[in-house]
Amino acid sequence: MALCNMRLAEERKQWRKDHPFGFWARPVKRSDGVMDLKVWECGIPGKEKTLWEGGVFKMTMTFPDEYPTKPPKCKFTPPLFHPNVYPSGTVCLSILNEEEGWKPAITVKQIALGVQDLLDNPNPESPAQAEAYNLFKKDKAEYERRVRRVVRENAP
Amino acid sequence: MSDANDSGSPAGDRGEAPGAAEHLNIKVTDNNNEVFFKIKRTTKLEKLMNAFCERQGKNLSSVRFLFEGQRVQPTDTPETLEMQDSDCLEVHQEQVGGGM
Repeated sequence: MALCNMRLAEERKQWRKDHPFGFWARPVKRSDGVMDLKVWECGIPGKEKTLWEGGVFKMTMTFPDEYPTKPPKCKFTPPLFHPNVYPSGTVCLSILNEEEGWKPAITVKQIALGVQDLLDNPNPESPAQAEAYNLFKKDKAEYERRVRRVVRENAP
Repeated sequence: MSDANDSGSPAGDRGEAPGAAEHLNIKVTDNNNEVFFKIKRTTKLEKLMNAFCERQGKNLSSVRFLFEGQRVQPTDTPETLEMQDSDCLEVHQEQVGGGM
């Protein structure tokens, strides 16, 4: 637990000092006004020159007590139309999976950039929601129309 | 477990907040240019926004300033936004929805 908080305080410090342009990430404030370092709200911008450009997608990172041994859970709020996002909004990504690519050295910045990259590079081998997956596989034109709509709805 | 939690977090993120230096160094970036400003905690950010635009030859109405994803108002101050030394402001192009 102490390690978790120490690491998160350091992540926060590094992020404030330097973060990729257009992203934001900050711990939420609890109702009593104290910052909760274990829950961060973030904004993930769509990459330039991709279908996702122009949107900023809200995501919550929730860090378990065992962080950084275990990865945070990343969840789009509201849930995002994307083949690798569960209907709940939870992001399915190898680097966020304890049994796959998670390493304790992965920083908040790397996670944010990783999720941004996932937007335009879905993995159809590991679908997490039926709607976006089916359209991505069977009707690219409609898939792209839906993405453009989501981007418009999430333009800052 | 729970007592470690209470003592751990405030020291990290909020340690500098009360009684810290009166002046802050703030980085303003539009993803091409970075300009550093030193301003007082209580100075309205309007001053910094104007200075940045003047220096970059931009019109204030053509851009928006964001701090942690939120639009900065000219009347905001570092104090009201709880800014810390070496925080940064982003400058994005102003945009309106629709028109397609």
